[in-house]
Amino acid sequence: MYEKFLEDIAQANGLREVNTYVKLVAGLGAIILCLLSTSFIAPLFIAVLLTGAIILLARVDVRTYAELFIVPFWFAAMSVIVIILLSGGSEVYWSWTPFSWLSISISAESLNEGIFVFCRVIGGMAALIFIALTTPMTDLFIVMRRCRVPEVVLDLVMMIYRAIFMIMHLLVLTYQAQVMRLGYSSFRESIESFATLCGSVFIASWDAGEDLVRAMDARCYAGKFALLGETGPVNGYSLAAVGLFLLASSVIVVITRDIVVI
Amino acid sequence: MSSIILEAREIRYRYPRGMEAIQGISFHIRKGEKIALVGPNGAGKSTLMLMFNGMIRPDSGVILFDNEPVSYDRGSLRKLRKRVGFVLQNPDRQIIAPTVYQDVAFGPVNLGYSESEVKQAVTGALRYVGLEGFERRPPHLLSGGEKKRVAIAGVLAMDPDLLVFDEPTSGLDPSGSEDIMELLDELNLQGKTIIISTHDIELAYPWADRAILLLEGKILQEAIPDVAFGRPEYVRQAHLSMPILLDIYFELEKRGYLLPERKPRTVLDMLQVIDVAFEKTPCSHASPGTISVFDVDSSPHDSLPGWLASHPDASIGAMGTRAKQHAADNQITLDFTYGVIDKCILRAIIGESSLILTSTGMVRRVEQRVLEFDTISGINVPVRLIDP
Repeated sequence: MYEKFLEDIAQANGLREVNTYVKLVAGLGAIILCLLSTSFIAPLFIAVLLTGAIILLARVDVRTYAELFIVPFWFAAMSVIVIILLSGGSEVYWSWTPFSWLSISISAESLNEGIFVFCRVIGGMAALIFIALTTPMTDLFIVMRRCRVPEVVLDLVMMIYRAIFMIMHLLVLTYQAQVMRLGYSSFRESIESFATLCGSVFIASWDAGEDLVRAMDARCYAGKFALLGETGPVNGYSLAAVGLFLLASSVIVVITRDIVVI
Repeated sequence: MSSIILEAREIRYRYPRGMEAIQGISFHIRKGEKIALVGPNGAGKSTLMLMFNGMIRPDSGVILFDNEPVSYDRGSLRKLRKRVGFVLQNPDRQIIAPTVYQDVAFGPVNLGYSESEVKQAVTGALRYVGLEGFERRPPHLLSGGEKKRVAIAGVLAMDPDLLVFDEPTSGLDPSGSEDIMELLDELNLQGKTIIISTHDIELAYPWADRAILLLEGKILQEAIPDVAFGRPEYVRQAHLSMPILLDIYFELEKRGYLLPERKPRTVLDMLQVIDVAFEKTPCSHASPGTISVFDVDSSPHDSLPGWLASHPDASIGAMGTRAKQHAADNQITLDFTYGVIDKCILRAIIGESSLILTSTGMVRRVEQRVLEFDTISGINVPVRLIDP
């Protein structure tokens, strides 16, 4: 059972104190540059640099990062194989036509296209994971408020955030209790155990919800959810580093616009 | 005698389609008292406590807060709940917000404080419970004791006059429980009235000014702890056990020793009882050791290392959250963190010196307690404030 959340890693990461906006600009800027780039080099550069930042600066465990990356990596790899085989081109290296309606080929253009798409995916992934691992939700709430997300939505989001961890905790406890008494020992048993798990966690979370209302009442709830803390101050170094990173990436996007693999 | 802050007159309450949980209870609590509400599971402790801040409305009878009957309209309830802080047994059920700062700020924000006032209230409350620097942490990553402190800070931020704790020490390790009990003492010294419910007799016995024994929705007894816990038949009925010190006292009495009238509430008291019983002079050493007091708020901090260097054998105790924080910041290993004054007097009796780190408000307490000991025992334990 997953007991360690991405959120927990983000809460303890080495870049936690860096201003949220600076981190978001780095991550979102990287995604946009990956999309703007017409060559595979810029996304690759972004992926390598952000991976380095995640591992060296945010001090995220390499294993954790690899585990996170491996799923989208394989997904991208398989999609790219399909792209390479199915898209045609003029300079064909290999082709096979098993049926009259299906022909598989590898051409220079399809290879270029495939590698380009693949690099774009891992560049974008690295940027997304960078945001996920360095910016905890609690910091994003502050950004959401700045972006004028309606108060009601924000309050709900915050309560849901808190509830997720509470319910997850209940879920783990109940699951462990079931396993201890030999639940999930056979297929039939598993289905029954799972049904009980859902039921009891539903009831427990309902109770927790009622308690929440009571707790809020006891603390003079008047329709205002707590205001938010502040994000760390904008630090010159981090701002310069992000600026340099985005500038370098943009330059690479421009100068490598015509470079292809083959 | 100070004025009455909370009073119940013949209150009764029956749960919908359930049994009568409270069957006619009357009592009053004075400002600045420390009250322990004890009784077996299902005695109605929690139900009774939920009436103190108007979460449950009694079917009959009145509850008076500050000599005014509690009224149950929205506005009055808000005012009541600002003044009566309630800390639930399970802090997970009390913590609402995704970060510590937000959670502690919840009450002040809803009371309509300005942003700077909220900040001040939150910082003050977190400092008080020793959680400075935890502002941005999410509650699910805290330990049980830390969560409890967040819950307490959330209530303290609203600056209530009366604090109600449902099982404040349940689920905490012994040292965590002692820390919480000391925090309650500290709050009490600042003039807050405190009511706790507990099963932990050993903690409640030395702590409380008065104990209320509840059984099946009725008050079995309401008295000072040594009386409340000193009647074997009541203790048995209330599914409690007698505090071990009282137990020893009564056993000594049964053996025919002549004991002082005053029942022992701490180990120090017990030793005095034993000394009297065996007619020994309490101090076997030529002169008692000195208790030095260091005020972490006002004494200059650089005078401490010198003192520590010249007294390498002294035992060190810290009273209060700020003093403990100070010790942690300066890598001072503490020998005592709970019942510090008594422990230091015990050291002094056997001729050893000790040091108490504490905050300004508590210095007087040290002097009082030592003076109290001096008058009873006839020993003169010197207390010195460390000054430059």
